Amino acid sequence: MLVFIAKRFLWMIPSLFAVSFLAFVLIQLPPGDYVTTYIATLAASNEIVDQNTAAQLRERFGLGDPLLVQYFKWIWGILSRGDFGISFEWQQPVSDLIWERMALTLVLALSTLIATWAIALPIGVYSAVRKYSIGDYFFTAFTFFGLAVPSFLLALVLMYVAAVEFGQDVGGLFSPEYENASWSFAKMIDLFSHLWLPVIILAVSSTASLIRVMRANMLDELPKPYVTTARAKGLSEFRLLMKYPMMIALNPFISTIAWLLPNLISGSVVVAIVLNLPTAAPLLLQALMAQDMYLAGAFVLLICALTLIGSLISDILLALVDPRIRLE
Amino acid sequence: MPNEILSRGVTRRAVLGGMAGVAALSVAGRVSAAAGGEAPALAQLVKDGKLPPLAERLPKKPMVVKPFEKVGTYGGSLRRGLRGSSDHNGILRMVGNQSLVRWNLEFTAVEPNLAERWEVSDDATQFTFHLIEGVRWSDGHPFTADDVVFAIEDCVKNTELYSSTPAQLAVAGKPVTVEKIDDHTVKFTFAAANALYLENLATPLGQHPTLFPKHYCSQFLPKYNPNIEADAKKAGVTSWTELFRSRCGDIEIPSRWGNVDKPTLDPWVVKEPYAGGATRVVMARNPYFWQVDTEGNQLPYIDEINFGISQDVESLMLNVISGKIDIQERHISVLANKPTLSKNMEKGDYRLLTLVPSASQQCQIYFNITHKDPAMRKMFADKSFRQALSIGINRPELIDIVYFGQSEPYQAGPRPTHPWYHEKYARQFTEFDADKAGAMLDQAGYKKGGDGFRLRPDGQKVFFSIDVIPTLYPDLVDALELVKTHWAQIGIDMKVNTIERALYYTRGDDNAHDAQVWPGPGGLDPMLDPRDFFAFHPQGSRYAIPWTLWYTSNGARGEEPPESQKKRMKLFDEARSTADLDKRGAVMKQIFDIAAEEFETVGLCLAVGGFGIIRNNLRNVPEKQPDSWSWPNPGPALPQQFTFTS
Repeated sequence: MLVFIAKRFLWMIPSLFAVSFLAFVLIQLPPGDYVTTYIATLAASNEIVDQNTAAQLRERFGLGDPLLVQYFKWIWGILSRGDFGISFEWQQPVSDLIWERMALTLVLALSTLIATWAIALPIGVYSAVRKYSIGDYFFTAFTFFGLAVPSFLLALVLMYVAAVEFGQDVGGLFSPEYENASWSFAKMIDLFSHLWLPVIILAVSSTASLIRVMRANMLDELPKPYVTTARAKGLSEFRLLMKYPMMIALNPFISTIAWLLPNLISGSVVVAIVLNLPTAAPLLLQALMAQDMYLAGAFVLLICALTLIGSLISDILLALVDPRIRLE
Repeated sequence: MPNEILSRGVTRRAVLGGMAGVAALSVAGRVSAAAGGEAPALAQLVKDGKLPPLAERLPKKPMVVKPFEKVGTYGGSLRRGLRGSSDHNGILRMVGNQSLVRWNLEFTAVEPNLAERWEVSDDATQFTFHLIEGVRWSDGHPFTADDVVFAIEDCVKNTELYSSTPAQLAVAGKPVTVEKIDDHTVKFTFAAANALYLENLATPLGQHPTLFPKHYCSQFLPKYNPNIEADAKKAGVTSWTELFRSRCGDIEIPSRWGNVDKPTLDPWVVKEPYAGGATRVVMARNPYFWQVDTEGNQLPYIDEINFGISQDVESLMLNVISGKIDIQERHISVLANKPTLSKNMEKGDYRLLTLVPSASQQCQIYFNITHKDPAMRKMFADKSFRQALSIGINRPELIDIVYFGQSEPYQAGPRPTHPWYHEKYARQFTEFDADKAGAMLDQAGYKKGGDGFRLRPDGQKVFFSIDVIPTLYPDLVDALELVKTHWAQIGIDMKVNTIERALYYTRGDDNAHDAQVWPGPGGLDPMLDPRDFFAFHPQGSRYAIPWTLWYTSNGARGEEPPESQKKRMKLFDEARSTADLDKRGAVMKQIFDIAAEEFETVGLCLAVGGFGIIRNNLRNVPEKQPDSWSWPNPGPALPQQFTFTS
């Protein structure tokens, strides 16, 4: 097991290099650069940037260097000093900008994961055991409806209702008084009192598919001889379900942990923007649009690193949970 | 046509600052500060001994500002929205308009601000400013002539910091020289006449002289701090210039609002900075602010400004209609939002704010007269081709459908309310006549082919694309789609090319576009942005970018323009150095005459005004304001005298 983990860790290094390089190239691919975008943004409000300023900015940001040189400077900074470079747009070190956002993103991702599983697992098992019952149809219909409604629309409708009908403060993850406060127990409580809305919105869209997967897997397992044997031996129905069929049916859930983060970040961009969440997605999108490449690159790098770690975790968990999987 | 006379019934005079050569006094009188009051919170600080008394914080004769409606009351927090990215000018427009001079409310004349009066030499090369005595930076340190000299001589003219001097501060290729006469007097000397300097000084780009406090910013300059490189390393940035910019900012970069330690002269100072990832920006009153109302009460009235940062305009709109924003026009001012805003006036408890556009043309079509492809160049450079296309557009239909009837057919030049309005330049070739357009095209050699579309003399089909940025100007996309149908009727095939913003600029920079559209400026400020009148602006005069490069580089780059352009360039330089208003108008008229004759751009209709909202409990706000970057609304309406009624 330890050997396996060590090997996997070693493999991560070249993968991360490849990914970071690709990300860097992709961010650079669109025409123009940060300075072009900056001028365009200002011109949008009919503001004029004189030519000198543009030339100056390019010089200052080292945008004249060849791509490879820019990439190695960046990577070397990260490896040697943990320095992710400067965000062009904000004139701040990138590392000041990313960590809190990544932390909140993880909080949101994990909460969404827990909520999704808490809804999908029991319903999936129930739908399998009570196949074609009223309950099965009801839940299936309800979750399919959730799958069909785009999450940003759901977010907008909920916000509109909350704001216009109930005069509630919506959007964001904190009340104004905690927004820039340092972390405390009270701030945590405040966070969770705001977190439920985005979590529900994001969970609603992903439960449907998980319920179907769970139901199908359980239906595969239930007619198998070992279930019949167990039932004949007089095991209670609940223990019988939990002991084996459930464990095996969980396999797809666990193996998709790794995708969860990239999915959540890419899938929740619009929701995060609509709800004004201080998570990674809006800042990443903004950085990409502004071609603020060190900031965008740092996010992409972190998301990739987390994905690799996530897939390692899911492999280890699978080995623990699913008796059919061996590491050799 | 909406009446464009501003709210106080003052008819517009040209935007030109007739003040040149005249020493002007502040319009309102001066009172001694002894009579005035201060905000309760500040009074408490004074009582606790944490702040000097009011008389010591204010100048001996503070500048008196006449409240727009009535003397206000202290208190309250003003809520306004920003976008999450590159919206630093949203802050600048609200608080950062404290220059040596400022615009009056009508956008017609320059008024005293930090300079209480000034003298201009007859040849418009020397400007002597007399600063208000006893003004203090927001940390209590005195503001003197040394600060102005430092800002220009040590900062702006430092070639490592600014590789070239900002356009406003250089004339005839030489930067301005600023010298201290005494503690409260500075003299600006230009290499050649700069008659427009006062007007330019009143615009946001004129803020350099009052931007850098010497006692704070000098620690980031090698001249004053020999260990600066080591300090920069310690701060984790690559060079001292980076450090300077991140601590002291510049006129138009986010870091200007990202440092709570930097002293300013603004009514409110940064408390929670505008930084990457911030979800709001909070600015608190400046206890040393140097203006008072007519009763001697220190301004600002409002305690703090709270900018919420929205990633998305829709959520900003939601905040507006649910009454969570006190004044907003930026980001929500498009015509398409007007029905929603009008419908929710009661629910949101606000009234509408009308923006008087300073632009001239809502949608200027710039055919690339200097196209890389010789055949295309020949076609676009053919004046009768452009004229035919212009009269082939059914403008009344377009105005009804896209602009709800809120505009009139227009080409270019100053708006009808401006004294320099030029009838021919504004109205020629706006009458819709498809038959005549077809006949003109036939005559110019563009005959119809078998499929009903016209062919060029070389046998190729006439086809070109017009670039437009849908995320920025969705209305222009609709307008162009209609123009496409009008032109199809006269046998011209056009593609509406919707592209991303950076690409639009890159194409322009590379001279790789057939045609592009943009709102044409210069309606109320023809001297400040003449991009449509001749090849003046390297990112704006999109009908001939190579000519603009030739103009801005004094012939070193780009492509030599024809005689009619050179003549206009000369005339404009002449207008710029003419202090006398009537003479300047006469010179500009010559430019408009030539531009009308050449007919380089094709316009659709007069620029349409936008809208904003003001909460009903927010008073002293003019309900009609110019909308311009030169008059950076709402700043010149003086938010420091806005006040809340309970």
